[in-house]
Order: sequence, then structure tokens, then C-alpha cells
Amino acid sequence: MSDVVLKNIGKTYLNGFCAIPSMDLTIEEGEFIVLVGPSGCGKSTLLRMVAGLESITQGDLLIKGNKVNEKEPADRDIAMVFQNYALYPHMSVYGNMSYGLKNRGTSKAVIAEKVNAVATMLGLEELLERKPRELSGGQRQRVAMGRAMVRDPKVFLFDEPLSNLDAKLRVQMRMEIRQLQRKLGTTTLYVTHDQVEAMTLADRLVVLNKGVAEQIGTPMDLYNKPATPFVAAFIGSPSMNLFDANLTEKGVSLSESLYLPLPHAHRGSIVWGIRPEHLAIVDEQDADFALEILAVESLGAETLVHGVLKDGSVQGKAMVVRLAGPHNPELNSLLWLSAPATHWHIFDAITQQRL
Amino acid sequence: MIENRPWLTFISHATLMLGIALVALPVWMALVASTHPASAFGVGHIPLWFGSAGMETWQTVLFEQAGNGIDTPVWVMMLNSLVMALGITFGKIAISLLSAYAIVFFRFPFRNLCFWIIFMTLMLPVEVRIVPTYQVVANLDLLNSYTGLTLPLIASATATFLFRQCFLSIPGELVEAARIDGAGPWRFFFDILLPMSRTNIAALFVILFIYGWNQYLWPLLITTDDAYYTLVMSIKRMLSVNDGDIAWNQIMATTLLAMLPPVAVVIGMQKLFVKGLVDAEK
Repeated sequence: MSDVVLKNIGKTYLNGFCAIPSMDLTIEEGEFIVLVGPSGCGKSTLLRMVAGLESITQGDLLIKGNKVNEKEPADRDIAMVFQNYALYPHMSVYGNMSYGLKNRGTSKAVIAEKVNAVATMLGLEELLERKPRELSGGQRQRVAMGRAMVRDPKVFLFDEPLSNLDAKLRVQMRMEIRQLQRKLGTTTLYVTHDQVEAMTLADRLVVLNKGVAEQIGTPMDLYNKPATPFVAAFIGSPSMNLFDANLTEKGVSLSESLYLPLPHAHRGSIVWGIRPEHLAIVDEQDADFALEILAVESLGAETLVHGVLKDGSVQGKAMVVRLAGPHNPELNSLLWLSAPATHWHIFDAITQQRL
Repeated sequence: MIENRPWLTFISHATLMLGIALVALPVWMALVASTHPASAFGVGHIPLWFGSAGMETWQTVLFEQAGNGIDTPVWVMMLNSLVMALGITFGKIAISLLSAYAIVFFRFPFRNLCFWIIFMTLMLPVEVRIVPTYQVVANLDLLNSYTGLTLPLIASATATFLFRQCFLSIPGELVEAARIDGAGPWRFFFDILLPMSRTNIAALFVILFIYGWNQYLWPLLITTDDAYYTLVMSIKRMLSVNDGDIAWNQIMATTLLAMLPPVAVVIGMQKLFVKGLVDAEK
């Protein structure tokens, strides 16, 4: 049975601003769904609508088959982890974790048992008597998760929970969250603007843009077959090289003098894209085009080369190439590249859909 | 900052000491005066060291009668003052907490208007509205009662404003977390809001207690029965003697007693008070 169903869900604010026009999403039991998109795309609003902190102005929200549109957050059997943790500053870790149970009239013995079990799972046993201000960022994060887990809810909601941690801790917590979720098997809805976080955590990703789901699918689906240029640019780092182009008899025309051969092409305006990692350095005679190198970022395991397309006529189409291992090309020199047709992504320029 | 300027240290210390002497000297003189017999003041010089009548004066004032026609001993008046001061303090804190809670966390029509109306009462202290307030209290038959002493002074725009600012600084996420944790409005108020604003409450307690204790005009107006006299106002009554024979020793003792409770409150709550005004532990 599907766990959480969003049916034609929409949100229009009182001032007429439509944050989410209409959204359909069915989440299976135990699934890890990540909502991802740039800031202001409505992902947090959607999460808060599921939580009950934001009213739903249209459509139905079902949790375990029950319509919960009008229910208070506390009655929806959800738990939420906030961006700034929202721990009660005057309560100890134990107090924070047990507060929700206490309000629901759970007996003290049961509370103690549950809190201790979760604390052991998260490695918080030593910290139960501390106040939140005596904890480090990572520990606070764990307490916030513990507070959610203690209640054993049907759905976990995460609102950018890792954005206040430093980079190293973020990677570590990411793995922990994933492992915990697998272990507990709780359906999870997770909001982030970080596509790496989204790719590594999600069973399925929902890419949001201006309140509309651009594409819903597994991380690899989205990487291999992005449905729109927006998804193509959003997923993958560095992001895909996208160019406005034309389809002609001679192939894909990136500019007046630069054609990439494509058999049985029809005519029309398109967006043509290729990921930086799929470009390969070749000899001049095999090359599809040349890149004038403007900047090189050496990261050790890989090298990112930023440059502009050199095609004689038009200048200034920026492109990034990702090369494995260390390279040391000279600035302003030319890099001959081939773009294998199997890795092309072609979208209709008008409908913005994948061709 | 590490500085080593002996002269600066000397001057600053000297200034501080001079300040302390200026403040403490009258207190000292009052203390000394209360230990001399009443006749000692007609001579023309002010004694600077303890006399011999100390125990006697203090005992009379505290337990028998305050003097000059006031039959009640000072301890009764201290009790009256205490009841009034605490009544005003707790009343003000309770009412302001509730009104600030309503204004900050609930969405109701004319919310802002309500706030501004409360805020405007800042311009209407007791002294301005004293005649109508007296009338209301008299009509309610509250003259010579503790209710009459405290009730008209309880509404407080200042405290409401202070708590409003304090509540506004509580992050929205915390409110939402409490909602998800199943805390209703009252639970949230008592479990989250009150503990989080306890330093502010303490700071306000100190200020309001002193305000309540030092009330002069209002008690002077509405109490005609000795049994409800408050300490601060009775000092004035003790001074108004027709034939000029003022019992300075008794007055000085009463004055000192009137100073004690506010001092005790300030010293006792100093730490919380400073924390409440300076610290923003959110």
C-alpha cells in the first residue's frame, strides 16, 4: 500500500501568489523521496503542507489512506527535523526527545525505554542530561533526529537538515541518515537544495521548479535521461553544457559554422547538451570542436577545464570539460574535443521537453 | 584590554569611592540618627556616631506604633507595602505575559490595533487618570482594600512590550516543533514560553517590585484606614506635625526599614536581573 499520496495538491497564498499549482506524487512505504530544487521553488512549502504547518488550498493529502488535509500536525503521525534543529533550549536532551511522547500521555516507563533505545542507536547515551547549547552542531542534529525517531511516526520529514553543518560532517551525517532510514524502514520526505545530497540519499527524486515537478524518478534516471533542460542543468556537478542550437540537414548547428553530424534530423530549434564528463580529448582530425582554455581547476582526482567554444565565427559559448586525473593544459591554448552522440541530450527549445 | 596607567586606576577608584560616599552618607546619617533620642536634633548639630537610644526606638517603631498619630506599627505597614508591591508585580507580569502571548502568537482581527491601544496606555500613568480612577475604585467600594491598592496599577504597556519583543525573538521553527510534538496553546505557554522567558520575568520582577513598593500618590489617596497604610506614604504623614516636634529618630528608623525590601530584592536577584537585560540565550 502506498504510504503518502499527494493528489492534485496545490497552494495559493491569500495574496494570490500561487506557490504550487498542482502536484501529484505517490510515495511507497519505506521510500526515501528527496524534493530538490533551487531556493524559492516551493519545496519547503510542499513539505510544510505535508507536515500540516502550511494549509493546503487544493487537492487531497492521504497518509496511510486517511485524508489528513485538515488535521493538526500532531495528529498526522509525522515527525519533522528542522533546518536549525529547533531544539527546546531550556530542556535537556532527554527532555527534548521525550516531550512529544509526554504530551501524548505515554507512561514514564515507556518514554524512558524508547528514549534510551533511540539514544543508544544514535550514540547519545552520554549526552542525555546536557542542554542543547552544550552540544556541537552534529550532536544537535542527532538529537533533532532522535526526537523525530522516538515517536516512531509513519513519515519522517526533513527540511534541509544538513545545511548548517560543515562539509565533512555533512557527508558523514548524510550516510548516517541513509543507513538509519534503511534500518527503520520509515517513509521519508527530504528537502534539500544540494543536488549531491539529493542524488546520494534518494530512492526517488522530485525536481521542483517554480512549484512544478519537472521530473520524478530515480537519481540515475534523472542523470541519464533528464526530461527538461532545467533538470539536465540541475543534476550533475559541474552542470551539463547546454547550448541553444538548430537542427538542420547538416546536423546540429551550434553556430553558423559549427555543425555536429546527426543523421535523419528534422529541422527546428533545440537545446543541445552534453555533460562535462562525456567530452573526450582527441586528435585534431577526429575532433568535433575546439575549446579555448580560460581556466583550469585541478582537484587531484579530476580536472575541470573551463573554456569557450572556438568556431571561427561566434565567440563566447562557455563550456566545461571534466577530465579524470591530473592534467595541465596551458591557458589560452586549444583543446580538441569530441562529443560522442550517444551522450547527447536534445530538448525541444519551445516545449522544453526531451526529444 | 590590558592597560597599565597607575594614575587612571587611581582616579577611577577615587571617583567610584566618592560616589559611594555620596550615596552612602545620608543612609549612614539616617542610621545614626535613629539611635539618638528625639530631643538630640533640636540642639543644632547632626550626630555622626551611634547614640544610646537605638534599641528602644527601633522596637517602638517596628512593633508598637510608628508615631505621630499612626497607631499601626511599622511591621503592619511593611506587610501592606509588601502585599501591594507583590500584587502589582505578579499582576503586571501575568497580564503582560498573556497579552503579549496573544499578540505575538495568535492571528485575530485587529491584532495590531490591540497592540497599539495597549501601547498608548503608556501615556496614561496613574497620575494622569487619577481622578476618574479614584471614582471607579470608590464606586466599586474598593477604598481601603488590597484590591483597590493593586488593581488600578496592574495594567502595564511597558511589560507587554518587553515580553512581545522577547517572544518575537523566539524562532518560528520552535513553535512549529512544539506543534508537531503535540503541545497545545497552554502547554506551549507553560512548557516552552515561560521557561524561555524566565530571565526576562526576573528582570521585570525587580523593576516592578521597586515600582510597586515606592507607590506614593495612589495609596495616599485611597487609604484612610491606618490598617491599610503603606510604609512609603506613612513617612510623609509622620512628618506633618503641627507643633514642630518631629520624631526624627522614629522617622529615620522607618525610612531605613522602607529601604530594606527593595535592596533585598535587588541583591537577591542581581544575577538573574543582569542576565535578563543583557543575555539573549535563545
